[in-house]
Amino acid sequence: MAQQTPQLTRSAPPAPAARTGFGKGLLRRRELSIVLVAIAAFAYFSLGSYGSAFNTTNNYHIIMQYFAPWAIIAAGESMLLICGEIDLSAGFTFSFIPFVFMSFYNQGLDVPLSLVLAVLVAMGIGLVNGVIRTVFNLASFITTLGMGFFLEGMTYIQSGAEPAQPPITGTLGDLLGDWRWSELGWALIIVAVMQAALSYTKYGVYAQAAGGNPLSAAESGIKVNRVKVATFTLTSLFAGLAGLVDQVRVGSFDPTSGGSDMMFMSVAAAVIGGTALLGGSGTVIGALFGAILLAIIKEGFTLSGVSAYAFDVVIGIAVVAAMLLNVYISSLRGRYLR
Amino acid sequence: MSGSIAGQEFPSAPATAGPEGGSLERRSVLRALGLGGGAALAATALAACGSSRNSSSTGSIGDFPKTSAWKFAFINHVTTNSFFAPTQSGMKDAASLLGLPAPTWTGSENGVVSEMVSAFETAISANVAGIAIPLTDSNAFIAPTKAALAAGIPVIAYNANASGNYALAYVGQDLYQSGYQMGLKIATEVTSGDILVGISQPGSLNVQPRLDGLKAALAAKAPGVTVHTVDTGAAQAGELSAMESAYQGLKAAKGIYAVDAGSTASIAEMISKYGIKGQVHAGGYDLLADSITGVSSGALDFTIDQSAYLQGFLPVLYMFMYRMTGTLVFPPATDTGLTFVTSENVSPYASSKSWIEGGATKALVPMPGSIGLPAPSTVQS
Repeated sequence: MAQQTPQLTRSAPPAPAARTGFGKGLLRRRELSIVLVAIAAFAYFSLGSYGSAFNTTNNYHIIMQYFAPWAIIAAGESMLLICGEIDLSAGFTFSFIPFVFMSFYNQGLDVPLSLVLAVLVAMGIGLVNGVIRTVFNLASFITTLGMGFFLEGMTYIQSGAEPAQPPITGTLGDLLGDWRWSELGWALIIVAVMQAALSYTKYGVYAQAAGGNPLSAAESGIKVNRVKVATFTLTSLFAGLAGLVDQVRVGSFDPTSGGSDMMFMSVAAAVIGGTALLGGSGTVIGALFGAILLAIIKEGFTLSGVSAYAFDVVIGIAVVAAMLLNVYISSLRGRYLR
Repeated sequence: MSGSIAGQEFPSAPATAGPEGGSLERRSVLRALGLGGGAALAATALAACGSSRNSSSTGSIGDFPKTSAWKFAFINHVTTNSFFAPTQSGMKDAASLLGLPAPTWTGSENGVVSEMVSAFETAISANVAGIAIPLTDSNAFIAPTKAALAAGIPVIAYNANASGNYALAYVGQDLYQSGYQMGLKIATEVTSGDILVGISQPGSLNVQPRLDGLKAALAAKAPGVTVHTVDTGAAQAGELSAMESAYQGLKAAKGIYAVDAGSTASIAEMISKYGIKGQVHAGGYDLLADSITGVSSGALDFTIDQSAYLQGFLPVLYMFMYRMTGTLVFPPATDTGLTFVTSENVSPYASSKSWIEGGATKALVPMPGSIGLPAPSTVQS
């Protein structure tokens, strides 16, 4: 009697659908989940009781005021996070650079030259951060923390602890913040450039390699230190630019602006957008949408009149709820794409 | 996007057969329920924390004509600082007296001007009935004030004033004068040596003018005194540490003073803690519990009352009158006062724990039998 093996057939799994086409390409982008969550938050406020007040151009402008500086700084911070580093001094560079500009201006240099010099100082700050990190192998957390405190004090010294009025007018002023939407323009351009750098250039590959596996990257001939120094420089440059443009828009260079809150929101925007805190992968466009989401939540609850004591409670609940939704959508994407 | 590296999170791979289909479906249903339930819970919690929307019009109050339920917005630069607790009581009391919903209280926690500007513009966007704001910066609030006035929203400045701005009125203390008077008082006790002066937000227009006034008075009346400024920060918890560190660094200081509420309370705490009462002169501003205890026990020589309660009460009253009468009753500029609280007049402040000064008791405070004479009146000629 021949043993008959039992038929252990089960119906073959359905053939996977073709993983091509625009729709699938969209699904494959890691930023999709954060975009959907931002849209959900927008819908929450648009359809709520303050919907008519929420959906006005003026209100969109206020939302932009919140997220534009975070997005600009996050463009740099997300690249740094990808490299496996972090910059805690970005918020203080934000406050410091406008007063560097004022120092040059008050010494008699004209506005464009003072701007260029201030921007060069911003890059110099990043260079120092990067050099100390790479040459002395001092963790970037500590390096930039020290630099942050240093800049905080320097801001008070340079400003004499008094706010100052920006002397920038005319077309240059419009470009740098006087025109309502100029800050949005800066944010979009900087995010686009950095995302292109991340996705399409060797620098982007090297940055991800440096963050994902620094030892192998170095062994493969990637100049990890140079990549990191360049990224630190870029981050401080963006922080300085954000400080100038944002404070020209407000109409006042203020020593209390920026600070650790600004840095924290930028890093949060980068992480919420999909950049791994431990490095190796990330997205700059995601950071933009992370910033937009945070701004919608913050502005929406201020609009609906949540008072200051309850405000942080509400923001905390909203952020966690939004992130749970984000994780859920990501897992759905993963299951659908596998 | 074939060249894009960042996009390749899920490269195409043949699907592998999963485990039993049934348990996978059950797990995913449970997960979806959990997340959906969590989201619903979160949404309910958010809705509960949010304030009520504008209700329909109220009945008339007293003998006034009927008005709608106007919602005012108070912007503040240090929203969680306990100095403004009586201000919030004042604004809520005035609103309830006039049959209005409680005003919102937003702004910045750490004196960040751009956050205050955003909150101001958001209030305009929400079409509130009136806005009250401390003008802690000379330039940043000009454009939003003009926008609010253009939209028919009255704007009143309280607690801090700035020149070149367009708020309808200022309700608060004359900051430079109060610092000057404090400097004159210090000059009677300390004529030479070093003094420490704590300031929570250097450069901010709600406290910097006091420090400027103080330095000017000392330069005029007691030029031998050297003023050392201590930056204590806006968050109260850090102010004690900052004052302690400064004192440790300058034990020879003849006097320890402050120009803001939190730093004054920290000084009173510090002097009691180190047991140096009577060895060093001290004084400051405002009536936090620790400061009152300090004046009663002798740790502080004086503190200055600027009536935080009225800074919340009066703007609501003024904006209500302005709206109800269609601008016929224009809000008057109001000096909410500069009272030196010393050991002689501190007892009602200390014993009543009244909500007027940020305490918990909302009871009638009995009048004293007789009233002490105030400083003699002066008239500008």
